Amino acid sequence: MKNTMKALAFAAALLAAGMAQAKTIKMEVHGLVCAFCAQGIEKKLKSMAPTQAVFVSLEHKVVAVSLKDGQDIDDATLVSQLKDAGYDVRAIARVDESLEQIRAEAKAKR
Amino acid sequence: MRRSALLLALALPGLAAAKPIAFADGWTVMAEYGTNTMREAQVFYAPAYWWSGGLAATKLIADDKSFEREMAGVQANYLVKRWNLPAAQGNVFAWAGLASARGYDTGGTFSGVATARYGAQADYETRRIYLSAKTDWSQSSRFTHGVSTVQLGVAPFEHDYEDLAVWFVVQARRYTGGILPNETEVIPMLRLFKGNFWIEGGVDRERRLQLMVMMNF
Repeated sequence: MKNTMKALAFAAALLAAGMAQAKTIKMEVHGLVCAFCAQGIEKKLKSMAPTQAVFVSLEHKVVAVSLKDGQDIDDATLVSQLKDAGYDVRAIARVDESLEQIRAEAKAKR
Repeated sequence: MRRSALLLALALPGLAAAKPIAFADGWTVMAEYGTNTMREAQVFYAPAYWWSGGLAATKLIADDKSFEREMAGVQANYLVKRWNLPAAQGNVFAWAGLASARGYDTGGTFSGVATARYGAQADYETRRIYLSAKTDWSQSSRFTHGVSTVQLGVAPFEHDYEDLAVWFVVQARRYTGGILPNETEVIPMLRLFKGNFWIEGGVDRERRLQLMVMMNF
């Protein structure tokens, strides 16, 4: 019984860790200077099935993508998509922050 | 500050110069009313960020009313080079097209005149400074003319994607081919854009309106 409880607790912990897995990808992008730049990137990324939402900050040179549950986009695909949109990705990271948190941080730093 | 800028923008007439390619898989619709001299409308679709194609129509009216030309045809635009810098972007564009021209001049009326259209533009932009130089030429058996435009823009504040972008722009334009002889037209303008909509306008020394609107989607 005790072992069963331990196994269940471990499984629950694994599930929680999985749910807490990064669902946001944050990129530093060069060349972002106007709304049309942002619009093109947003359109490109939103056309990808795993994308839930996109945030672009010209000021912070940031493009962030939140992913739908259980879905992912690999780094190479994202870099390629941004290149196809006419921009250069300088850094890419998977973060624990939500898109809303990244948006709030960007606004707070202005 | 931003509300004041918006009120100022609404109170003033507008002006502009824009890129012929907005973004991949995007449409650009543009219309310009250039003082008493030029009217232009363009619709382009960009399959990729580096080229677009579509329809372009231009009407030019000589300052002394001695001739008018209307040209309508197809045009392709090509991004020759882009520089993506940490907080700036530079571009060089070139375009070429074929149009049918009609109108009148000292030799009488004409129509269906095949006209080659070509030009180039270089621009450099941060979120505070905008510089562009553009030259646009039309050549046929009946006429040759060019319209060359330089713009310098300054933004009073740095905008972000969701903000209203406000720019104060000075445009200098020179026409060749007898359209506006021996004169460089200088116009202070106000440019506003937000989301997918852009409007630019101003007035010249003779209080003639210069206006450009553009939408990307």
